[in-house]
Amino acid sequence: MDTTTKRASSKKGERVSKTTIKRGGGFWKLFKQQRYLYLMSLPFVIWAFIFSYVPLWGWTMAFQNYKPAKSFFDQKWVGFDQFTALFADQQFYLALRNTLAMSFMGLIFGFVVPVIFAILLNEVKGMFFKRTVQTVSYLPHFVSWVVVAGIVTKSLSTDGGIVNELLVSMHIIDQPIQFMAQGKWFWGIVTASDIWKEMGWNTIIYLAAITGIDQEQYEASRVDGAGRFRQMWHITLPGMRTTITVLLIMSIGHLVSIGFEKQFLLGNNLVQDYSQVLDLYALKYGLEMNRYSYGTAISIFNSVISIILLFTANGIFKKTTKESIM
Amino acid sequence: MPRKLFRYALAPLLVVALASVTACGSSDPVETETSDVSTPMTISFFGSDANPTWNGMQDEVGKEITKATNVTINAEYDVSGGGTQKIALMTASGTYPDMIFPKGSITKLVEAGALIDLTDLINKYGPNIKKVYGDDLARLQYSKEDPSIYVLPTNAGVGQTSFDAGGGFEVQHAVMKEMGYPKIETVKDFEKVLKDYKEKHPTINGQPTIPLSLNADDWKIMITVTNPGFLATGAPDDGEFYINPETYEAQLHYKRPEEKEYFRWLNHMYNEGLLDPETFTQKTDQYNSKIASGRVLGLIDQDWDYQQAENALKSSGMPERTYGHYPVQLNTETKDRSFQDIGAPVGYGVGITTSAKDPIRIIKFLDWMSSDEAQILNQWGIEGKHYEMKDGKRIIPADVQDKKTNDNTNFVKTTGVSGYTAFGVHYGDGVKDSTGNYYTTNFPEQIIAGYTAAEKETLKAYGATTWKDIFPQKDEFPVKPWGAAYNLPAPDDQEYTVNFQKGQDIVRKRIPEAILASPEEFDTVYDEMVAELSTEPMKKMEASYTQLIKDTVELWSKPVAAK
Repeated sequence: MDTTTKRASSKKGERVSKTTIKRGGGFWKLFKQQRYLYLMSLPFVIWAFIFSYVPLWGWTMAFQNYKPAKSFFDQKWVGFDQFTALFADQQFYLALRNTLAMSFMGLIFGFVVPVIFAILLNEVKGMFFKRTVQTVSYLPHFVSWVVVAGIVTKSLSTDGGIVNELLVSMHIIDQPIQFMAQGKWFWGIVTASDIWKEMGWNTIIYLAAITGIDQEQYEASRVDGAGRFRQMWHITLPGMRTTITVLLIMSIGHLVSIGFEKQFLLGNNLVQDYSQVLDLYALKYGLEMNRYSYGTAISIFNSVISIILLFTANGIFKKTTKESIM
Repeated sequence: MPRKLFRYALAPLLVVALASVTACGSSDPVETETSDVSTPMTISFFGSDANPTWNGMQDEVGKEITKATNVTINAEYDVSGGGTQKIALMTASGTYPDMIFPKGSITKLVEAGALIDLTDLINKYGPNIKKVYGDDLARLQYSKEDPSIYVLPTNAGVGQTSFDAGGGFEVQHAVMKEMGYPKIETVKDFEKVLKDYKEKHPTINGQPTIPLSLNADDWKIMITVTNPGFLATGAPDDGEFYINPETYEAQLHYKRPEEKEYFRWLNHMYNEGLLDPETFTQKTDQYNSKIASGRVLGLIDQDWDYQQAENALKSSGMPERTYGHYPVQLNTETKDRSFQDIGAPVGYGVGITTSAKDPIRIIKFLDWMSSDEAQILNQWGIEGKHYEMKDGKRIIPADVQDKKTNDNTNFVKTTGVSGYTAFGVHYGDGVKDSTGNYYTTNFPEQIIAGYTAAEKETLKAYGATTWKDIFPQKDEFPVKPWGAAYNLPAPDDQEYTVNFQKGQDIVRKRIPEAILASPEEFDTVYDEMVAELSTEPMKKMEASYTQLIKDTVELWSKPVAAK
């Protein structure tokens, strides 16, 4: 919603500025004309400035050897030393690999599954059944990760865990599998539990998008002889395209910062080569060791990568589908 | 119009912005004023260890303390992780609680200048503290370069003689009874009882029997997986290091060839199906709930780590499923050094931060908490309620003792007895006060009174009265001149910290890997780990630690100079 209004207002702005340029009034004239609009947006500009731009001042820490409780002028400046140390650390690359791997898996499945689920749910005719399924499926969203991690570890346990019990009783495997002890399973477990938790919630926005599709289109296609699948493919999916693109571009911007809750709670010493993500790495080797500067360097790296990814994705979509958020 | 806008909307904002910028600049603590002891005061406190029995001082002892001092403690305890993250956040923001129990994070606080030097305060306002420490006060100094006193090591009892053992290897009483109380000296003996019992009883209470389980969740991996490496090979506990007693040379203890053999034995236990396959994936709560179900036959742990589970076993009527402690070694050539003398107590303790508005009042509070009156209140409780005086002797009535033994968690929660040790320096077990009674409730008669019937039965079979009796005694070993290395603040240098952490990451990954490997692969995995721990940066890290030990020995062997 946020993006659509933004887009609308910028279009309007373009139009108005074109007219003012023609009249040659300049900025102040325009300002005077639209003073109430400016006034109304002011609180948000201030809000964004205080909470998003002022903290950027802290980036100076990355170029210092920051010590707490010393004033800004007493800090030692070290140039790019923190970054050199960061790029020389083998573990950093490992954390980067894990972060990207898990976020790409999350991105792909986190999109495909809710979209399919929304379409399927839309096809269900029984209202009661539809509502029940929808409610049940988004309830896990409200369960905290601590609890989810507990449920996942218990279900995958070799000591009476339901998954192993089922697999053994169906004779798919002879011996219980130690799911949590093997690195190769870890990314999958994280992605799967994430989908279990968030699938229903993420479906809501797609269902809303589907509701906005004109019913006449379906009727017209039915007259033309389109079956259920043809309708899904040619009407429902294209109808959701704008929503999907906007959400996709925005999540690409968040690819590097996937948080660390899941990895921290589900991981253990055995799988640390697969569970260490950038945020955890920053916590462990930055904050927990009082290396604030090093931690800041990591977060600058994160931000730069995020911005690059966001603009690239936005550019690609702008070219190929004419849909973009900027 | 725009000008008006600036005047009414932007100008005040600008003022606010400027004001907040200038306000950040000055925050010097004023510490000359102190409030009267009769006025109520709240002291904020952060403790690095979880404390599930903390009751906001609403228990009986807590109310007494508030009555006597007019002080209420507003405490926050870390849930897990030993306080490192919380304290890192505190130093980043520069706001601290008045009082703090930082454990190993003391280095960070000192580096951030967050702790105040207590030396003068103790000299002026701490007669009781001085009385307890006597000449050993100088041992509390932080380091050779910085002789300030930052914490009162309330974690350790002064003059402590331990009367009981809480570590070693643990076996359920029921197992020992059925096996006819065999001698358990080596890991092979330990393995045999677990194996034989499991064969006889494949399930307990309807669930599969687990012969041995360990807790490798986060830092607990040190307690139950890596520390037993040195414990079972006759080395004393110096944290992650082994310190050569002659040269003071420090090395990461897992690099010792003896310990490789210990881990080879764990590898064997795993491949034999005797070690719980979930050892390295389970979380502390899973571990404890397994123990509380009564089906884990043996542990290699410290009693405080599985206390909650053992309490649950007692209150659910399975006292025979609780554990006895045995000084198991890898072979008969070494001795368990759990009771080696570490000299005067230094260690984790409580300090006052620069955020405290009234440090004098706080030190007065800590001093009162260190008085004889408060020590007895804290250790014994309230006279007539939790103990009685009979013929000049303090005695705990049978019904109170019963609750204390069998429902300890609730007992501490409601009475507060022993819940406030962190807030005052105190004498250890075995020290008597002016009335000839022990300060603490841990003395042989009392410890024995605290044992369950099952424990007593097992001990009797070994001709012992306490668990300590079956461990090698203090006088069999020399006193360690550097105390216990895990109590010393780590070297204050970033390179050391980073490389130490990297070493820990390697160990915490490789040791589980080695244990879960097939017996043929074990050597490869373990040797690879030793190679990774022997690189140049690691050697440099060990060298800094060696220097720390040498400095400490030098600092402590100097004659005590009163400041």
